[in-house]
Amino acid sequence: MIERRDDELSRIYRDAEGPRPPQRVDDNILAASQRVAGARRRPAGFGFARRWGTPVALAATVLVTFTLALMVFERESGLDAMAPEARRTDRPAKVLPAEPQRTDQPGTPSPAVLRPIAPAPPISQALQRDPVEQGRGESTVSRGGLGTGQPAFVPEVPRASEVLRKREEAKPALAAPVPDAQSAPEFRQQARPMQAPAAAPAAGALSESGATFQRSGVTAAIANPLAVSEAKERTPEKWLEDIRKLRTEGKMTEVERELAEFRKRYPDYILPEDLR
Amino acid sequence: MLRYGKGDAGAFEALYRRHRLPLYRFLLRQVGNAESAEELFQDLWMRVVNSRGRYEVRAKFTSWVYAIAHNRLMDFYRANGRASFLSHEESESVLEDLPAGEIAADLRLDRKRAVERLLAALGELPDAQREAFVLQQESELSIEEIAAATGVSPETAKSRLRYAVAKLRASLGKKS
Repeated sequence: MIERRDDELSRIYRDAEGPRPPQRVDDNILAASQRVAGARRRPAGFGFARRWGTPVALAATVLVTFTLALMVFERESGLDAMAPEARRTDRPAKVLPAEPQRTDQPGTPSPAVLRPIAPAPPISQALQRDPVEQGRGESTVSRGGLGTGQPAFVPEVPRASEVLRKREEAKPALAAPVPDAQSAPEFRQQARPMQAPAAAPAAGALSESGATFQRSGVTAAIANPLAVSEAKERTPEKWLEDIRKLRTEGKMTEVERELAEFRKRYPDYILPEDLR
Repeated sequence: MLRYGKGDAGAFEALYRRHRLPLYRFLLRQVGNAESAEELFQDLWMRVVNSRGRYEVRAKFTSWVYAIAHNRLMDFYRANGRASFLSHEESESVLEDLPAGEIAADLRLDRKRAVERLLAALGELPDAQREAFVLQQESELSIEEIAAATGVSPETAKSRLRYAVAKLRASLGKKS
C-alpha cells in the first residue's frame, strides 16, 4: 500500500527551519552509549576469544596429533631399521653386571662348573670380598661400553674365571668333593670333559679358563630359565656360535631349543646355511 | 544496532547521527514544546542504548525506533491528560466530508508565510493525524511502516494520513 506524498505540502514542510536537539542532549546520549559500550568491551574481547577459540583449539589438536603420530612413526621405523644393530650395541652393557651370576645361580645345577663348588657363595659375594678384582671388573665394564660397539661379554669371561680360581685358592675347604691338594688346574681338568673337543675359532681367542667359564655359562644358561633370558641378550652372531658349539657337542635337544629361542628372538634374522 | 550490541560504540554514533533530527522533530511536533521534546528524545535514546543486548532484526531499525517513540508519546499523552487520538471509524467518517482544497496562489509565492501557516495548521491537527503526517514527512516511512510504528492497521494509518493532508491543504487555501 503506497500513499503518494503530497509534494506541494512536503516542499512547504521542508522549508520550515528544522529544530535541532541541543548539543548537551547529544553529548549526554553519546556519552551514555560509549559508557555502556565500554563496559561491554571485555565481553567483546571474550567474543574475540569465542570466535577464534574453536579454530585455534582445532588447529592445536591437529598439530599435536600430527607431531605425535610423526614421532611414533619415526620411532617405529627407526627401531625396525636398526633392530639387530641396536641390540648388538645396547644390550650387552645392560647384561654385564648379571653375567657372572651364570656360574652359580642359587638352586640351579651347573653340571660343568658348579658341581664341585656347589656350597660356594655367589660370585657377587666373591667380588665383594675382592675389591681389586671388583675394580678391575668395573674398568672392564667401562671399556665394554656402548660407544665401543664391542660386546662386553668376552672381556668379562676371564675376570669371572679368575674370581673362581681365586675363590678356590682362598677357600679350598668349601669345595667339598675336591681334596685339599686339588688345585685349580685339576678343577679345570674336571670341567674339561664337559667342553667341546674342538673349540670354535672365536673361542680360541679366549684364554682356556675363560672358554671354560663361557661354555659352562652357556650350559648353565640353558638349564636355568633366568640364565636363558640372559642368554637372549647375546648378539645373534655369538648366540649362533654357541648353538654351533652345542651341536658339535651333540646336544641336539638343546640345539633345537636354542634355535627355536633364537628364531623367536630374531624372527627376521637369516640363519646361516649350516643351522637351517 | 547489532554491531553496537557487540560493543561497537561507533555503530551507535552512526545510527544516532542518521536519526537524531527526524526523531527530534517528530517528538517536538507532537508534544509542542522543546523541553518535553528533549526529555522524551533523551529518554528514547537511552531506551535504545539499554535495548542493545535484546535487539533482534525483525523490521527496519527506523520502524523499531519510531515504535518506541510512539509508545513514549502515548505515555506522555496519558500523563498530561491528552487523549485526542481519533478512532479508526471517526477518522474515516470525517474523511468522507473533506473538500479537495487548493493552496492559495499568494502562499505559493510567499514560502515563509506558507510555512508558518502549515506549522500552525499542523499544531491544530489531532495527535494521531499529525503523527502520521510527520512520520511520513520526517522519516519517509511508508503506510505500512507508519502502521507498524503506531500500532494500527495500514488502513487506519492511511486514513489518518489522508485526513491530515486534506486538513493542511484546506488551511493553506482559505486565507491569504
